[in-house]
This record gives sequence, C-alpha cells and structure tokens, in this order.
Amino acid sequence: MARMKFLCDADRCIECNGCVTACKNTNEVPWGVNRRRVVTLNDGLPGEKSISVACMHCTDAPCAAVCPVDCFYTTDDGIVLHDKDLCIGCGYCFYACPFGAPQFPKAEAFGVRGKMDKCTFCAGGPGEDGTVGEFEKYGANRIADGKLPACAEMCATKALLAGDGDMVADIYRERVLRRGGRPQTWGWSQAYGQG
Amino acid sequence: MMTMSQRRFHLPLLVVAALLLAGCYESPDVTRFEPGVYKGESDPLLAKSGNTAHQENLAERFDGQRDR
Repeated sequence: MARMKFLCDADRCIECNGCVTACKNTNEVPWGVNRRRVVTLNDGLPGEKSISVACMHCTDAPCAAVCPVDCFYTTDDGIVLHDKDLCIGCGYCFYACPFGAPQFPKAEAFGVRGKMDKCTFCAGGPGEDGTVGEFEKYGANRIADGKLPACAEMCATKALLAGDGDMVADIYRERVLRRGGRPQTWGWSQAYGQG
Repeated sequence: MMTMSQRRFHLPLLVVAALLLAGCYESPDVTRFEPGVYKGESDPLLAKSGNTAHQENLAERFDGQRDR
C-alpha cells in the first residue's frame, strides 16, 4: 500500500510560487487561507534556499493527537484529512502543527476562527466523492480521479514531488547520485554537520 | 368574554409567538464524542484506495515525475 508524501527538492525550487497558485486555483481556496506557501531562507544572500511547505500528512499527526473533537482521520494511503462538520475551530491543531499547515478563514472577536482548512493532498474530504458539496468544503478530489496533487503536477522544475513515499525517495536518491553529492535536504547540514 | 376586536388583536400575536417559539427549536441529534474515535462522515475514498486498478493508475502518474 502506498504511503503518500510530499518532498521539496530545495536545490530545484526557484520560488516561482506556481505550486501556491495551482493550489489556490484548483481548490478555490478563500482569501487569507494558504494551504501551501513557499518559504525562502537567507533571501537575497548567496546560497539562498526555497522550499514549498504544506501539510506533510504526518504518519503520527500531532494535529489529530490534540484535536478535542477527533475530526481527523487518515486514509489507507496515509493522507490526513478532517471533517469540517465536526471541527469547532479551536485552533489546537494550528499550535500543534510544526509546519503551520492548519489555516483558519476568519479572525474575529472572541477568537472566532471558523472551520479549519488545510492541504488535503487533493483528496477532498468525507462524503460523496466529486460532488459540489465536497468541492465547496474541501476543494478538488484529484486522487479519486487517479491524479497527483495540483501543486506537484504544476511544478515546472519538478522540485515538488508528491506520491508514494518509496517512489518519491527513489526519485530523490537518483537525483542526488547524479549530482554526485550528499543529500541537500534543508536542515541536513544543521542536523548532521558538513562532514 | 373577549370582544371581536380583542380576538382580532390576539390572533396575530399568537401567530407571531408560535413562529418565534418555532425558531427556538434545537435538534436533539448531537454527536457524542469519545476520545480517539472519529465520528464524522465516512469517506468513499477509503474504499477506493484498496482498488488495485486505482493504485496502479496513481503509481503510473507518480512515475511521470521522474526526470526525462
């Protein structure tokens, strides 16, 4: 069984924000909500790196662990989804997520945030697949149609990879071998040193 | 004994009161939460993910991400 993962190759990302645009366009995400965004480290300096970040569909998702109403579920493919009808907009998931993936459409008095919204790996949500109701709540369900998430399919440099974790790792390994160096994953040198 | 004019006055009031009370109705159908148990709507995608043809279709699409 596949286990769906995203991987952004920081050596290929050119900060074009095509993934962000593709996501917003495909899922018709409202203003103020960014399911995906591009983060640039050391912007403007030599050796700057950009990575595209969204929900990483964690194997042991902290958002699901802290949710007081248990509105999260994980598909057999490892995609972390949630039911907006159960969500109470408490924001615990936002504080628990290390990637800042959970987004809220409102910022009103008394902490009213609205229902949480996040990347669905273009797999929609609960309820009938491919319906208007599903699209309005969760966005497109491309996985049910046998397609990749729009962000990865749109990536011009193929920096953003999406799919079965084994396959993604295999593609990345091939690239690293071709470059003839160590993996340039963001944070590698901080974690393991230059040697 | 109410007069005819009093009845005419009370009748619309009763209708308005009935409508207002109807607006206060609250559905008794609530979700009782249990720790760690997802009680939301089911997702048909879960059944589809066990489909071999669907998995092969996805794998073929994923493989297209390799460098040419």
